[in-house]
Amino acid sequence: MKTYRNYVATWVMLFLACLASLLFGAGTLELGQAFAVLTGQGTEDARFVVMELRLPRLVIGMATGLALGVAGALLQTLTRNPLAEPGLLGVSAGSAFAVSLAILLGASTATLTTLISQVGALAGCGLVVAATRIQGAGQDPVRLVLAGATLTGLLLSLSSLLMLIDQRAADEIRFWITGSLAGKRWDQLTATMPSLLLAGAIVVGVARPLASLALGEKVAMGLGHKPGLIRLMVIVAVALLVGGATALAGPLVFVGLVVPFVARSLAGADIRKTLWLCLPIGPAMIIAADTLSRLLVTPSEMPLGVITAVIGAPVLMVIIRARRIPAL
Amino acid sequence: MNSSLDSTDTGQTPLHLTPGHWLWRSTTRHWSLLINKRSIVVNATLTLILLACALSSLALGTLSITIPDVILALQGKGTTMHTFVLEELRGPRLLAGALAGASFALAGCLMQTLARNRLATPGIIGIDNAATAFAVASVVGVGISAAPHTMALVGAAVATALAFGLAGATGTRGYRFIIAGLAIGAVSGAITQVMLSSVALDDANAAYPWTVGSLNARAPAAVNALIIGLIVGYTLSLFLNRALATLQLPEPVTASLGTRSGRVRVAGLILSVLLTGLAVSVAGPVGLIALLGPELARTISRPGSIPLTASALSGAILMVLSDLAGRLVFSPLEIPVGIIAALAGSPYLLWILLHKSPDINR
Amino acid sequence: MNQFMTMSKINSPRAPLAAQSLMMSHGPHTIIPHLDIELRTGEVTAIVGPNGCGKSTLLNGLARIHKPRQGTIVLDGADIHTLPARDVARKLALLPQDNSAPEGLTVTDLIRFGRHPHQSWLSQWSEDDERAVRKALRAADVGDLANRPLDTLSGGQRQRAWIAMSIAQETQLLLLDEPTSALDLGHQIEVFELIRALASQGKTIAMVVHDLVSACRYADHIIAMCHGEIVTEGTPSKVITTNLIAELYGVACDLMHDPVSGSPILVNIRRVHPAKPAEIT
Repeated sequence: MKTYRNYVATWVMLFLACLASLLFGAGTLELGQAFAVLTGQGTEDARFVVMELRLPRLVIGMATGLALGVAGALLQTLTRNPLAEPGLLGVSAGSAFAVSLAILLGASTATLTTLISQVGALAGCGLVVAATRIQGAGQDPVRLVLAGATLTGLLLSLSSLLMLIDQRAADEIRFWITGSLAGKRWDQLTATMPSLLLAGAIVVGVARPLASLALGEKVAMGLGHKPGLIRLMVIVAVALLVGGATALAGPLVFVGLVVPFVARSLAGADIRKTLWLCLPIGPAMIIAADTLSRLLVTPSEMPLGVITAVIGAPVLMVIIRARRIPAL
Repeated sequence: MNSSLDSTDTGQTPLHLTPGHWLWRSTTRHWSLLINKRSIVVNATLTLILLACALSSLALGTLSITIPDVILALQGKGTTMHTFVLEELRGPRLLAGALAGASFALAGCLMQTLARNRLATPGIIGIDNAATAFAVASVVGVGISAAPHTMALVGAAVATALAFGLAGATGTRGYRFIIAGLAIGAVSGAITQVMLSSVALDDANAAYPWTVGSLNARAPAAVNALIIGLIVGYTLSLFLNRALATLQLPEPVTASLGTRSGRVRVAGLILSVLLTGLAVSVAGPVGLIALLGPELARTISRPGSIPLTASALSGAILMVLSDLAGRLVFSPLEIPVGIIAALAGSPYLLWILLHKSPDINR
Repeated sequence: MNQFMTMSKINSPRAPLAAQSLMMSHGPHTIIPHLDIELRTGEVTAIVGPNGCGKSTLLNGLARIHKPRQGTIVLDGADIHTLPARDVARKLALLPQDNSAPEGLTVTDLIRFGRHPHQSWLSQWSEDDERAVRKALRAADVGDLANRPLDTLSGGQRQRAWIAMSIAQETQLLLLDEPTSALDLGHQIEVFELIRALASQGKTIAMVVHDLVSACRYADHIIAMCHGEIVTEGTPSKVITTNLIAELYGVACDLMHDPVSGSPILVNIRRVHPAKPAEIT
């Protein structure tokens, strides 16, 4: 009964966030006009603002939040580390660096960016999982997070180096690297969609074996699963999701931490229930954050990455304070 | 065994109890000094290396000056051109870099020792980022219009206080403290980005190198404050040295030896925050120097000693070298020193994180 | 509470260290609700009891490491928390369990740390310091190991080096937390004999000991603790009874006496309520 209520509540929250995202925002559009568009009326200008500017942004935001939330939940279960977050562990930074490199080299088509971003994420993800398998350090969540922060710092420095070399690319990279949904168009979504769908299919297939892997490698083997294969599939799924999200919205830190944290505190330890709850919570968080980013400093915009960091940092503290993380 | 307690020393060759030290005792008063030979050698060597790096830093650049010419110019006998380059451009920059590097590393050494954790350096726990955010706030004119170095100090203090508040207490391992710092660093970094994105693009571009760590944007007032701060901080830290040494032993032993570890920690933390804030106001967040300097110093110093001086010298060397590399590698393009330090230091930090114990004793 | 009354009551010359109405807690948990204790001059006192009964907490409280929630601890007639830390360190040394030292530190380096409370900026290595370290090296029989790094020593040698550090502190009182834990039998005997030798020099020693037989063999006085309270205290032969052992550890046993030393020995140790075969199947 309680789970059922949670599902309903989170979906209602998502709906409200979407509504707010379409109604509020920069520009001269009145609230009433925006509402009129949603009910099928409204002026031509209002239709354009809502349908061509705000709607793509909304949908892209939903895709990003969904991808990052699910990726976070997967990575945390795989590494058995409640702090394992694609942004904190440097996976997002990996894909961001790859994209910076691609922008510098002149790549501009959305498809290519997505692909490069996912390759970068795959490399980052591989590094993280390799690190977790190092005896001692890998079992220590805090050290892993620090290692991720260091990797992020290193990759950001490399990106900065690229930006110094090419001023033209610098402006583009700098805008993109703080994370934002502003000015997104439909074609970016269509370029990313296939890989996100593929990742979704993998997640559906791997959720059950992953739940048994969470009980331990030997238990999973005893239940007839192949831990190595599960791990590989999860890594690929996370890379596709994070790479896709980063290509869409830039590297966003803390989303993959906050969303599964909320989902887990509602659903409990089972990865399958957590994943179901991530579906509404991830998009709701991104869309709420994006709407806030438009409202807080009107008429200009606050980068989305700033809002997620401001939301996420306290959650990180809550996790650290509440849980007895091993080796803390 | 019983009887041996009472017996007087009858050993054939009296055992030397203070190997590797020079001992000086006053015959009239009860004064005695014990000087570690290795630390003298290490510090002398590091000073020589620093001098060599400083000379290279003065000589090399877009305009190369030969070492003899540098020395002539320093004596006031050089050409006008050389004198200008050295006195107006490279000299102040070298001074700022060396001082900032020394401050960062000294702050790092203090904080590592008092937290008993080699990862607990100001950069990792977000003090750098917070100091930067506050300094940028004063540059772009948000809020109070205090001088950037004052604001950097305030930022460093606020971050530390917050980290303490959020973590509840230091704890002996200080891990919560580190994570709290990480969160504060992330938020501060984000706030810096907001402030930079809200000002005119040219201003943002001008401030950008400094936010990743650069000696380009140093203000004379900040450098003066750093000189005073470093002198005061270094002197006070030397007074703490004896108590800091006992902090290497387990906490109950430290207390049993009469060290007020709580007081020593607070004093060390205040010094560390002061040094970091002032260094950030000059060079931006080059936090990895605070990790690399003490690490280098520790590996070459005598086990069981707290290498404060050696850390400061190592930090200065690393900073001067990073700046020199940044100026030379992509010349005429100049790479900010923070980027060079991050590129060189991050792999090492990763290696520590994944392969070594964070316990400072190991 | 009337502090003056309390002070005068326990201010007896024969107790170099005493605690009155001691209450110690760890966060919200009260470990020791109410406890009075006195150490006797020149004797070895062993504190025994089951895991988690507050033995180490008591030792840390007596050594001024943790502040008690309530009560006073009197060191040589003065409230220990009003004395300067340095003065306390010259009178009382504590050696905790499981010590670790910086890598590469030699035995002499470690022992020299014991002189810390006697040193200052202007007196970094006095003749007294030198004499005390030599004495400690000899007393703990680590002279041959003097310049060896600690990490190259065996467990027993390392523990003797740590005890030597405490000896070099030249304190009247020595508090040891499980000085023989993780040592094999031979090394345990080495350490216990060293402790006896120190007591015969007039030092007052309190130690937390797990092994009851060793406690009986090497201590003059035994304090048995359970749930943060002193159950009983006295000489080993008086204190150690089968009833006490049942109360502390929940086991039944028979007592014999060591034919050589006369100290009690536990034999035929078993659970109080042995499981019936029927219950197992």
